[in-house]
Amino acid sequence: MTEPSPPLTENASRAGARLALGADVSEMVHELVEYRELLLSLVRRDLLLRYKQTIMGFGWAILMPVTYMIVFSMIFTRVVKLETGVPYPIYVYAGLLPWNLFASSLRFSVGSLTANTTLITKVYFPRELLPFTAILVSLVDFAVGAIVLAGLMAWYHVGLHWTIVLLPIVILVQVIFTAAVALLLSMGNLFYRDVKYMIEILITLWMFATSVVYPVNRVGGHLAPILALNPMTPIIDAYRSVLLHGQVPAIGPFAWSAGFAVALLAVSWVLFHRAEFQFAERI
Amino acid sequence: MHQGLIRFDGVWKKFRRGERHDSLRDLIPAMARALVRRRQGDDLDRQEFWALEDVSFEVSPGEALGIIGPNGAGKSTVLKILTRLIRPTRGRSLVRGRIGSLIEIGGSLHPDLTGRENVFLQGSIMGMGRAEIARKFDEIVAFAGLADFIDTPVKRYSSGMNARLGFAVAAHLETDVLIIDEVLAVGDSAFQRKAFDRMQVMVSGGIPAIVVSHQLDRITTLCGRAMLLARGKVAYQGPTSECIEAYARHQPAPAVSERAGDSVRLDSITRDSAAPVASGDRIRVVIAGDAPAERAEARRVVGVRVRSLQTGGILYASGTEAHGLDLPQGPFELEVDLEMNVSPGIYAIESAVWQWQREVDAIFGPVALVHVSGGPSFWGSVQLKSAMRVKARPAGA
Repeated sequence: MTEPSPPLTENASRAGARLALGADVSEMVHELVEYRELLLSLVRRDLLLRYKQTIMGFGWAILMPVTYMIVFSMIFTRVVKLETGVPYPIYVYAGLLPWNLFASSLRFSVGSLTANTTLITKVYFPRELLPFTAILVSLVDFAVGAIVLAGLMAWYHVGLHWTIVLLPIVILVQVIFTAAVALLLSMGNLFYRDVKYMIEILITLWMFATSVVYPVNRVGGHLAPILALNPMTPIIDAYRSVLLHGQVPAIGPFAWSAGFAVALLAVSWVLFHRAEFQFAERI
Repeated sequence: MHQGLIRFDGVWKKFRRGERHDSLRDLIPAMARALVRRRQGDDLDRQEFWALEDVSFEVSPGEALGIIGPNGAGKSTVLKILTRLIRPTRGRSLVRGRIGSLIEIGGSLHPDLTGRENVFLQGSIMGMGRAEIARKFDEIVAFAGLADFIDTPVKRYSSGMNARLGFAVAAHLETDVLIIDEVLAVGDSAFQRKAFDRMQVMVSGGIPAIVVSHQLDRITTLCGRAMLLARGKVAYQGPTSECIEAYARHQPAPAVSERAGDSVRLDSITRDSAAPVASGDRIRVVIAGDAPAERAEARRVVGVRVRSLQTGGILYASGTEAHGLDLPQGPFELEVDLEMNVSPGIYAIESAVWQWQREVDAIFGPVALVHVSGGPSFWGSVQLKSAMRVKARPAGA
């Protein structure tokens, strides 16, 4: 009787191998399965660190969207009255909560590779785990922040609808899109540290181009066709549809976001995987 | 039976000197250039060089391969390709089974996490499952000798404690192949001894292993076979002792002392026989050279220096002046007899020339090698020719 042979790992030149896509994809999938425990360990590490180094701990996950909610509620209920169908505080919080998931995922992931230089130059593991960790940690914050949303819904007597069963799909699409952008940004920052400085501007601009604090379709004009392409707007709208309005998300725009997210993730992941072997040389 | 395997098939690796464009400002012109000029993967740019050229080897179960060579020869590049940190430019490396790297990872422990938390994190980074780490946890902590500090944040550790914990985790990974890279500079001498013993146990267990070290005695103890790398090429591959000899011969030896108006040429050093000797045996070497002109203020001394190739340590040096000899003008031969009162190993006898009472200016010429094998049994590096007597002592006095 023979023991099963241990797996064979090949590290071969991919020079001139534009066709090696199959090899790359199988390697990517294989590694993700092999290193799943590491992903959890890294998430555990980051949560643990947050808990250790801050007094508020997870309180910060709530404070940020709540502060923004109060500020924007002042502006859009007192300074300018904005018609949103549901009470404005709950409208804006339902937008800020998922937006914060997106924004903090990007903020954490952009430096996730450069913050782990010693690891990257000494031990091999799929490097995409580092930006993915940033997203998973932000998801925990998102879950904590959702408690406030539940509180607001009770306060304003917004009942639950059956459409809440669609919520996991909405979250999934958002996470896929976030992962795609996070891979590109973290990789970009490793090669060009400019990215780290660019990100704050990017996030701010992007927020106002998305229906986070106001319905972006009110902007109109020349910008309208460009804003309509923003894949984040249908996602944020979808949260409000399934949570506050009891409606199925608008199929057309949401399908665009979902399709775009999946396509972008596929492209950015393959790019990331191919660049990964330069990380140790270039970091 | 171990089934791990390490194989390098014609591996080439290209590196780039100097900085690459690190900001977008430099990227755009570089991309434009790349578009205009389509390059083959094999060509070298002005700034590029081959860090490895056509390196091939195979390590099967029960074998350990040592890699030696001067700094910059490509040793670390080989390890980086094996552990998949970088991809080869050409060729491939194949590894069957899980790779364990005994490298210095103390630096990657997280300062704000406790020792315990770091063990679990580091373990999973190196590929261990949580259950496996939990099973090995006590063993790891005991090995590092940190049982009392395991729940202290690592930032409060001394650098030695840090390194010990890092090594302990790496040393308890269950692997199919093993890579050891210069980790012996870790911790105090007691821990170094312990770490080395652990390595010997792992290697003698039959896992295929690769050892990179400048300490040639470590390589000799751990590996039956070695490979000499020089400027990215395999200069020699074969039995460790022969490889170390090749390394000694390979080291550049400036043979001529050329000062203005004062030149002594060392042409050769020859030994009476190439056969190995036993500890305590006498050998004779003959240095041939030429001292064309003598200046009064510069009395030249010619002699030998004996170096252990395993440790690199200098054991002995002496020259004509200490033996009351003067160097004649013109071609000369100098006979040197040495009693090899040393432990078994390989020793380099270097010919040397220096100025009277100014040993710092010594210049070393051709090298002869001596194998010392066997002889009277002792431990250590020098035969002190001890004499021992034993007597019975009156009891109860």
